[in-house]
Amino acid sequence: MTDITKEAPSPPRSFLSQDAIQLFYRLLAVLLICAVLAVLNDSFLSLGNILNVLRQASLTFFIASGLTLVVLTAGLDLSVGANVALSACVAGTVIHTTGSPVLGILTGLACGGIVGLLNGIMVTALRIPSFIATYGMLWVLNGLTYWYMAGETLHGFPAGFRQIGSGYLFGLPIPVYLLLVFLGIGTLFAQRTIWGQEIYAIGANPVAARLSGIPVTRRLLLVYAVSGTMAGLASIIFLSRLNSAEADIGESLTLPAIAAVLIGGTSLFGGVGTVFGTFIGALILTLVLNGMNLLSVSANWQPLVTGIIVILAVWLDMKTRRRAQ
Amino acid sequence: MKQRLGYKQRLGYLALPLVMAAALTTQARADGETIAVFTKNQTNPFFQTVRVGADNMAKTLNAKTLQYIPTKPDSIPEQLSQIEDVVVKKPSAIVFTPVDYKAMVPGVEKINDAKIPVVNITDRSAGGKFLSFVGADDYSLGLETARFMLKSLGGKGNIVIIEGVKGSLTNVDRVRGFNDALKENPGAKLLASQPGNYQRLQALQVMENLMQSISQIDGVLAANDAMAVGAIEALDGANRKAQVIGINGTKEAIDAIKSGKLLASGDYNGFFQGCLGTMMAVRSLRNQPVINEIVLKPTVITKDNYQPFDQPLEQRTCPTFEEASKLGAK
Repeated sequence: MTDITKEAPSPPRSFLSQDAIQLFYRLLAVLLICAVLAVLNDSFLSLGNILNVLRQASLTFFIASGLTLVVLTAGLDLSVGANVALSACVAGTVIHTTGSPVLGILTGLACGGIVGLLNGIMVTALRIPSFIATYGMLWVLNGLTYWYMAGETLHGFPAGFRQIGSGYLFGLPIPVYLLLVFLGIGTLFAQRTIWGQEIYAIGANPVAARLSGIPVTRRLLLVYAVSGTMAGLASIIFLSRLNSAEADIGESLTLPAIAAVLIGGTSLFGGVGTVFGTFIGALILTLVLNGMNLLSVSANWQPLVTGIIVILAVWLDMKTRRRAQ
Repeated sequence: MKQRLGYKQRLGYLALPLVMAAALTTQARADGETIAVFTKNQTNPFFQTVRVGADNMAKTLNAKTLQYIPTKPDSIPEQLSQIEDVVVKKPSAIVFTPVDYKAMVPGVEKINDAKIPVVNITDRSAGGKFLSFVGADDYSLGLETARFMLKSLGGKGNIVIIEGVKGSLTNVDRVRGFNDALKENPGAKLLASQPGNYQRLQALQVMENLMQSISQIDGVLAANDAMAVGAIEALDGANRKAQVIGINGTKEAIDAIKSGKLLASGDYNGFFQGCLGTMMAVRSLRNQPVINEIVLKPTVITKDNYQPFDQPLEQRTCPTFEEASKLGAK
């Protein structure tokens, strides 16, 4: 993290254009993957499969979009998956006991947000490095969720609630609408608002940001709370789509979300990246798994291929950025 | 690394007295032997049934149990340090499920060196000395459950397999059972065998993806219940129907069998494994004869026989020694 001063150019706006170049490469990668899969499998380009991929990518995107803001400030949130698990179990219980999906949704979002805010407090007030604070939080959340669920599974939710994750509106899955909405909000917030620009500035150089009058502590609290709330949203989509929740769902969600952020070109050193890039990252991850399922690639190769893609994407990103400077 | 591990353990220890206090309050006061029961995780409902079975039997025999569960599911280092801990505490006997059947062998040897009698349950350890083994056979679990599904499909149709975690012992054996059942039915065609890693979300997505390229799927063989339920959600979402089977006999699976969504679930009776493991440990301490090996036959739970599995765990009863000797003892 001491490299920040070397890596980052001065005003945050100036490298939006460079982000544009990076995004162009990523879109090319998506097209290339699509072209290869379309040649290898007839069903790949069907409308059904495209909607399928978008819906699957949306869950990863919801978690990863909030995480992108955290990574833009040179932080990391390792607790997102565990947060999804706890929020899903709490929201599920509220729906079961009160019969009200609205209360459940609000509880899930609040639970996620509060966890995020606690992360933010640990990072700002207690000055614990985010990697460690959120890693500790991951254990706390797992412990709470395991204790709370005691090996049980929650299942069976009202049909209306199920629509959020499984329903369609004008032929498009509802999670895809939510994806577009949050992609829009996230992009506008990061690129077009002062708060967004301040977040980039904090990631690029926290000392300079502080000296130039940016309320760093408040912005960081906001960023972690947003990341937590998005995990809360993901927990609602999960619950409504899977019709059930159990304590260990988080394990398989954190790393893909981090991978989506990194593949999307957001730098772990902070100050560089976009929410749209994260969407592309989630899309690439989903496309690859979708393609391997359609092509019946052996189970042995699937994690390996995913791992190589993450490494390759980050390496290419660093290489092209270095050249651009 | 070492320091962080210590920190994790301490967190675990902090929780342990709470868990133990909670367990002891529900249990009759006992003054007999202390049996340390090791299971793999707190997340899989199967091990919950094992623990309830062990507690139930201990209560009947006037012994008491101490539960050892890794805070991180299936954590090898954590179970190793729990063994170190138990060797110091010296319980009367141990009922042991290795989180990994090969990696835990040095741990078992530590228990052997400490001269604490130990019974192996669920996953057969690759080494070490045990009084007795109580478990079931994942291969026959996969085979029998898949056979049941293929029979209900009339021995033909398009089949997909959703695998668990690649390379895990349970998955290798279950999937081998599935495949052997398929070989017995030349009319059935295996169209895909894809990983769902025992996770419902992954199984749902794999199923959604497979449905894009396979227009007719008649049967889904899932290596656990969570994945079977995930696959059913995907089928429902696409308004498609297929016969689906899972493994584990979880409450969720029983409910799905009752409502006709799930065809069957293979069960190897974790409750009995907990009962019998504890029974053998206590019997050997009391110099009574023990059965050296009990491999429980799998039960295929269907809509015709789900009733006994639909009871709350607390109401189930452990078998007697005489009954146990008829339960697949060798």
